[in-house]
Amino acid sequence: MLGGLVASAVCSPAAPALAKLFAVSRRPAESFTLANGLQVVVLPSRRAPIVTQVLVYKVGSADETFGHTGVAHFLEHMMFKGTDRVASGEFSRIVSRNGGRDNAYTSFDSTGYHQTVAPDRLDMVMRMEADRMTGLRIAERDLISERQVVLEERRSRIDNVPSALLDEATREQLFGRHKPYAMPVIGYVDDIKKLNITELATFYRRFYAPGNAVLIVAGDTTPEAVRKLAEKHYGPIPARKIEARRRPAQGAVDLPQRISRADARVVEPRWSCDWLAPSYRVGETKYAYALQVLARLFGGSETSRLWRAMVVDARVALSVWAGYSPVSLGLTSFDIGVHPAPTRTVAEIESAVNVEMKRLIDGGVTTEEVERAQNQLLAAAIYGQDSLASGPRLYGAVLSTGGTMADVAAWPERIAAVTPVDVVAAARLVWRDSGAVISLLTPAAGTR
Amino acid sequence: MTRILRRGALAALAGVLAWLPAAGAGAIDIKQVTTPLGIKAWLVEDKSAPVVALSFSFAGGTASDPAGQSGVTNLMATLLTDGAGPLDAQAFRRRQEDAAASLGFGASLDRLGGTLRVLSANRDEGFELLRLALARPRFDPDMVEQRRAQTIAQLNQAAQRPRSVAGRTLMETLFAGYPYAADPEGTRDDLKALTPALLERRAATLLVRAGLIVSAVGDIDEAELARQLDRAFGDLAVGMVPPLPPEWTPPTRPRTIVVERPVPQSIVLMALPGIARDDPDWYAALVMNHILGGGQQSRLFNEVRGKRGLAYGVSSGLRPYKRAALLVISTASANERVAEAIRVIRANLVRLRDDGITEREFADAKTYLRGALALSLDSSGSVAGLMQSLQVDGLSPDHLVRRDALIDAVKLDSVRRMARRLLRDEAMTTVVVGKPVGVVSDPKE
Repeated sequence: MLGGLVASAVCSPAAPALAKLFAVSRRPAESFTLANGLQVVVLPSRRAPIVTQVLVYKVGSADETFGHTGVAHFLEHMMFKGTDRVASGEFSRIVSRNGGRDNAYTSFDSTGYHQTVAPDRLDMVMRMEADRMTGLRIAERDLISERQVVLEERRSRIDNVPSALLDEATREQLFGRHKPYAMPVIGYVDDIKKLNITELATFYRRFYAPGNAVLIVAGDTTPEAVRKLAEKHYGPIPARKIEARRRPAQGAVDLPQRISRADARVVEPRWSCDWLAPSYRVGETKYAYALQVLARLFGGSETSRLWRAMVVDARVALSVWAGYSPVSLGLTSFDIGVHPAPTRTVAEIESAVNVEMKRLIDGGVTTEEVERAQNQLLAAAIYGQDSLASGPRLYGAVLSTGGTMADVAAWPERIAAVTPVDVVAAARLVWRDSGAVISLLTPAAGTR
Repeated sequence: MTRILRRGALAALAGVLAWLPAAGAGAIDIKQVTTPLGIKAWLVEDKSAPVVALSFSFAGGTASDPAGQSGVTNLMATLLTDGAGPLDAQAFRRRQEDAAASLGFGASLDRLGGTLRVLSANRDEGFELLRLALARPRFDPDMVEQRRAQTIAQLNQAAQRPRSVAGRTLMETLFAGYPYAADPEGTRDDLKALTPALLERRAATLLVRAGLIVSAVGDIDEAELARQLDRAFGDLAVGMVPPLPPEWTPPTRPRTIVVERPVPQSIVLMALPGIARDDPDWYAALVMNHILGGGQQSRLFNEVRGKRGLAYGVSSGLRPYKRAALLVISTASANERVAEAIRVIRANLVRLRDDGITEREFADAKTYLRGALALSLDSSGSVAGLMQSLQVDGLSPDHLVRRDALIDAVKLDSVRRMARRLLRDEAMTTVVVGKPVGVVSDPKE
């Protein structure tokens, strides 16, 4: 099947690059699993004498409950506050004094810790990362000062940013208030203020275990060397059974909704529409690849349909976009957004977007359009592999949301297999009023 | 904290990692290429990668925008990829997409830069599109209107974003009456007055071979690179390097400026006169900055965030421009606590200056700085970018080999001396944007 698809791409003059993209020789990444359940992925690259370790835990903010938001992210901060062997605040200091860099992130479905160091320091950072998988000590004093840091982070990312406040409200409407993906990753202010050591420690014990993590090592090393070090440092950690994670099969039930935020800090309005959409895991998952192609050809570049119609031809918009990320353990969203041109009304914007959506659903898409979008997706993926950071990010996201090594390997073929008929079917599936939230960000009063 | 990637950058293609060159920062083999037309370039050849990454820049940036035409360089740079030769904007973009090539331009205060990234099999097409963009840009009126409107909208947005307001206010204060004060994106009035003819004239002035700096990385040899460079840049006039702005006189008095904005968290920038990149004590300054605010181990991070929880981010950095240099400290803190954050930062500047630096801090900073360069070599684009900045700084290709020795040669005494030279709070400009409690602007002179 794949052969036929690649051949058709090769024959099509509209897609000269597709064949070349497929012609890039590939070698699968190495993966193995330790006896205690820790999955290890090795991505060797000899570009520079550096190596990156990423430890991704299969836990994120969507594993929290209403009234207790922000635990996963707060715990990520506290992971730098010490064990019996490494004093509070020393983790990053040790990495730095050894010539390396480190950081961490929290998302809805995963929490990751990463360091980039010289190859001869991999042993050291693996020892320290394994140590804090089970050895974390949380002191009240650290908790109190770090709470202020987290609140400052929330102010920087959300409270100081009108569009982020609107996005927070949009997710509540779309996924249903109090539901996992409706609550902000960083948590609500009231919850952050009352979070205590017991809650953090309980969450830590519940989710931080070798069988609930993926270790990814990329850079100037070999699978053999990584296996040896992983056995040495992570191997002795006892296996522990972790309960399966659950995600709702549905989003909000009272859609469509329309929300708006008028804010004195806004001068340029923004219109957007979010729809509930299947991910690789939940919902009509077979449409996930077609939705990626749809987002690309409809609003993913300056040659996309919506850009040409609204920015170039009708000039009702300054810019437009479409976005979709299927890497989620639960449902996800598909969004379209518009920055209106001066003096254009919301009604004009909505009408223009609707015309293009209807044109796509009624009139279909061409083979050429689909192949261009496929090309762009594959090219972005290939160039993404040119960066040492993107490999671990990719494997970390996929493997922590129920995906497999085989899913990663098959992605180009699955994207290439999408047909014009699939794209229209995917649009019909997702672009439904019963799954939509329209959000409007506007200046406070009467301006513009 | 970050969220999952917005769109699935789901590359399989793991084997592509095998492209990456087997070389470390010190071992990168830089070849110097001179084309038949006399264009010079640095090349890191890497046959294992089916990719070519090119980085180039022209002398002259937004600081040399003619009077009344602020924003002309920035707008011109944006429009270079909006149609060229026989191709309108849509056609030009499609040609890039079909070749999986990406071409982009951007302007800094001092230079106009660009990058090209293309599969090596498509290099003819990539370099041809670059030639068209440089030698035959169109500045079609409808595209000029589109980009102008987008730029004005960005200016409007930036005027409400506390971080942007702080950055702008700092530059306008420090460089009042000097070319670096102007917003690189221009003013609304100047932007409205720009015409295709003015943009064309700006392109003809800046896009010349004199002062051109080029670096390339990837699957291309010297002869082929020379051929492609002559194709891409050969149509350009030799021209001349634009004159530098005059010397800048740094402020000698402290100044605090508060810009009121309705936000819960105040943004803080504190700037001191810095050190030129070609100063013999540059590396002593790098070491000092690293100790002060150069990462998660720094004094500011420890004192402001670690011990007191006064901020999420706090850092310091050296900003060497062509004709001026700054040391800038940045943080953000709740309106009620920002005065304390500023106090703690000031106290730590004084402490570092007057009480000195420990042997341990000194040794750790040197170890980090030796390793840090290699940490940034994570893509062919970043290697091309590094070679670009080495050339802009007037360094030689063997700098990557010599750099460790330069860092090793720094003495603790010279770092202490640097702290006394740079950390002078009597010359500090402080900008606070928000509704800070207990921080007020100094009266205007």
